Amino acid sequence: MGESGATVGIVANPASGRDIRRLVAKASVFPTAEKANMVQRLLSAFASVGVERALLSTDLGGISAAVLRALRQRRSGRDGPWPDVEFCAGDPITGGAGDTINAVRRMRAADADLIVCLGGDGTARVAATACGDVPLLPLSTGTNNAFPQLREATVAGLAGGLVAAGAVPPERGTSRASVLEVRTGGRTELALVDVCVSTERHVGSRALWQPASLTELYCAFAEPDGIGLSSVAGQLCPSPRTAPDGVALALAPPEQARWVVHAPIAPGLVVPVGVRDWRPLRPDRPIELGTRGGVLALDGERELELRGDQTASLRLRTDGPRCVDVRAVLAEAARLRLLCTGNPEGSVNDDGYLVHIGRT
Amino acid sequence: MARTISYREAINEALAQEMERDGSVIVMGEDNAGGAGGSGAEDAWGGVLGVTKGLYHRFPGRVLDTPISESAFVGAAIGAATRGMRPVAELMFIDFMGVCFDQIFNQAAKFRYMFGGKAQTPVVIRTMYGAGLRAAAQHSQALYPIFTHIPGLKVAVPSSPYEAKGLLIQSIRDNDPVIFCEHKALYDATGDVPEDSYTIPFGEANVVRDGDDVTVVAIGRMVSVAEEAAKALSSSGIEVEIVDPRTTSPLDTETILESVENTGRLVVVDEASPRCNLATDISALVAREAFGSLRAPVEMVTAPHTPVPFSDALEDLYIPDAQRVANAVKSVAEWKR
Amino acid sequence: MTDTLSTSVAHELDENALLQAYRTMRTIRAFEERVHEEFATGEIPGFVHLYAGEEASATGVCAHLDERDAIASTHRGHGHCIAKGVDVKAMMAEIYGKKTGSCQGKGGSMHIADLSKGMLGANGIVGGGPPLICGTALAAKQQGTGGVGVAFFGDGASNQGTTLESLNLASVWNLPAIFVAENNGYAEATASTWSVAADNIADRAAGFGMPGVIVDGFDFFAVYEAAGEAIRRAREGGGPTLIEVKFTRYFGHFEGDQQTYRAQEVAEARENLDCLKRFRSRVTETGRLEEADLTAVDTQVSDLIDAAVDEAKAAPKPTEADLATDVYVSY
Repeated sequence: MGESGATVGIVANPASGRDIRRLVAKASVFPTAEKANMVQRLLSAFASVGVERALLSTDLGGISAAVLRALRQRRSGRDGPWPDVEFCAGDPITGGAGDTINAVRRMRAADADLIVCLGGDGTARVAATACGDVPLLPLSTGTNNAFPQLREATVAGLAGGLVAAGAVPPERGTSRASVLEVRTGGRTELALVDVCVSTERHVGSRALWQPASLTELYCAFAEPDGIGLSSVAGQLCPSPRTAPDGVALALAPPEQARWVVHAPIAPGLVVPVGVRDWRPLRPDRPIELGTRGGVLALDGERELELRGDQTASLRLRTDGPRCVDVRAVLAEAARLRLLCTGNPEGSVNDDGYLVHIGRT
Repeated sequence: MARTISYREAINEALAQEMERDGSVIVMGEDNAGGAGGSGAEDAWGGVLGVTKGLYHRFPGRVLDTPISESAFVGAAIGAATRGMRPVAELMFIDFMGVCFDQIFNQAAKFRYMFGGKAQTPVVIRTMYGAGLRAAAQHSQALYPIFTHIPGLKVAVPSSPYEAKGLLIQSIRDNDPVIFCEHKALYDATGDVPEDSYTIPFGEANVVRDGDDVTVVAIGRMVSVAEEAAKALSSSGIEVEIVDPRTTSPLDTETILESVENTGRLVVVDEASPRCNLATDISALVAREAFGSLRAPVEMVTAPHTPVPFSDALEDLYIPDAQRVANAVKSVAEWKR
Repeated sequence: MTDTLSTSVAHELDENALLQAYRTMRTIRAFEERVHEEFATGEIPGFVHLYAGEEASATGVCAHLDERDAIASTHRGHGHCIAKGVDVKAMMAEIYGKKTGSCQGKGGSMHIADLSKGMLGANGIVGGGPPLICGTALAAKQQGTGGVGVAFFGDGASNQGTTLESLNLASVWNLPAIFVAENNGYAEATASTWSVAADNIADRAAGFGMPGVIVDGFDFFAVYEAAGEAIRRAREGGGPTLIEVKFTRYFGHFEGDQQTYRAQEVAEARENLDCLKRFRSRVTETGRLEEADLTAVDTQVSDLIDAAVDEAKAAPKPTEADLATDVYVSY
């Protein structure tokens, strides 16, 4: 393993896990120090499978500073190897989503073989718009995400590293995600999980936790154990990530709807959501959204405010980011014994010990 | 009807009577409810020396336990006072003003003037001061001069159980911030105290003892030290007039000056350290306002300019005692040009 | 099995409320820009710290408050005063040190207060306000008014013991208190990215057992929503919240500050992030308010500030008779 000289990029969003859901829904707080620790665990895993170069995003929130500090404090011979670490410090930091886009673009320009993004659904969405065909490994920093997985970073890093190094081929270790493309006015935005139409009038604090305001919901996938708005579909009409179809729901106040789903639409919030109707959402068929001056929420965050006369359309696309399937990669690694080696010589007794030590 | 109770009981009674009378009076402080493990409710300490004992049960929800967090809860008492409450906060030892002084002298003391006369801050900060319990340098100081220095604060220094009850009730009803300084060595002192509620007005000194030879102005616990000295001096023919100012801000200058104009001699007894204390302040007052009446230099009996020592051998030397007071009185009585 | 939720607070904003919010923000901006100009003439004495750029915070929070509620402010307090309803002309007169000022010329810019409006004063002491707000919240709780206390403080004050003690006490006593950390990036000239070891001030909330959230301080609606949820929660007995509002101040720490420590960011914020510009474009683009309505407000505000300055300049100063009054209620 590890013959390739692979390069990986790691984008970590310092702002994730701080929004109003901490106040309205007891959502988790994910400390900066733990994000920095995750980056370091990834680096150790990458080095162990032969990744030679790691490109790290920079931020003013303390993640890149903590990693830099750790890098300087590493003791030669004592601490396990890391790839060569380079910081993508070429762009001014704005504190906004543009930082993630700039970092991903620089990583692609530097021929990254994999991009890891640490954050929530919002961070993954931004990274997905910029990563092109480079495999994406979205890791959740918190408990409130439908798209990125809550995964131990070392294990995820092994899987990502094996894909980056070419030890597991992309067709076995990654899968194409579907995305929801929304167009309105001159803007085109992507959602990885769901698009929701709300009668709220303002983007405001972005998060969405008021089911009474929701009128339509479109999900690229919907899992029964999901969190967020897609969990409504996940319980009523699940649609697996692997299926090309998504699902579309017409919502209504619970007392007026055919079904009422008690869904975890945010961490700590299990609320009744009324569903009038649902149907499969077929790929590549544009749908007009009935917005009427409301807002569109992408992956649970209000993103687009619409004027009363402004229309919006939505399309399910099957050409979303190529995402690393951690479980599939490591299953393949086990099948190929990529992480197993035998000692070169000597016979073995019944207990598995080498009978004689062949090495000198 | 008066009966004999302790200084501690007098303070407790004043609090209870005011809480009974006025629903806006609340009490807060460290260990008000502490001391019984979990809830503390069954055996509420009533503060570290038990001054508020019993109130926690008697006035549910109005006796608040606080974290050891003086800035926050003294500040909270001040903030609540601006919004219609009459909080009595207990700053366990006056020495701890060091961790919350900003809230007292930059906030409470300033509001009325700084906001153009539109604020009222009827807060009382009860605090214990003074040496004698072998509590050493950070738990024994007599820091009332520092508060006296600050315009906007009133400072009461009760010398007996009777004074404690009347001055505390007045403090609670007063519409300005009051620093109420209780001497920790007086808590078990007893005296006659009326059962009924009463107030002692601020800025009205008490002439504890009449005499024509020497005026002794004594603050807080020093009043009883002066009384002890006066008794001894009387037998040697020197009659001392003892003035207890009761409050150092406002200060009853009139009574002090009247007494000195009669006796022509002044000794000030102040447990505080000697620079910029009540002794220097009152000496300056008399030198300026009653110079013509003085027949001898003014004497000051104070603590030395040192931190309060721990060892009993040193602390006993630190605290002004009756002998030192008597010596000072004799020196001014016998002074000849 | 389910929580019940009321509707979103931002939804409650009708056209009148939107116009009022705009008027408040515009008044703060116009007030501060005018003080900036007038200070340069040398006619305004003392220290003046301007709030321009931060209007959405005071406005978005105070829009939820009424006479039951009290706020404590900072040395950068003009915006909080205006948002809580303190008379603008009296404020201007106070800044000029006049007898007609909010504090009869005895307070000045750093101490403008109006307790009858629940405005507990701008405060010259960094970290002075949070303990006081624990007290106003305690009073509201004891009196059962349903009122809340709001402590505005800056990134500098977030490092003060008084602030941290107050966060703790507010949780221990479950007070209806809201702590609004206005992080404008600099404590005087020192960057908060250096001085605040926690990376985000909001992160500190976890250590005090309360929710901590970050909102975009240039976005009125974001502040309004977060504050609305926090205040509603506090009124209902849910306890305190820490809200970190992130933005940039447009002027220096004090008037006269050369601001050698920062350059580009102010111009960029004014151009691209400005709360008034964003508010205006959003309410007009979504058809909720007409340009003409907003322009009319601009004119009215401008007239008000002109009159405030003229009256302040013409007003008498306090006299010797005022020197020793109002130290005590009685003495």
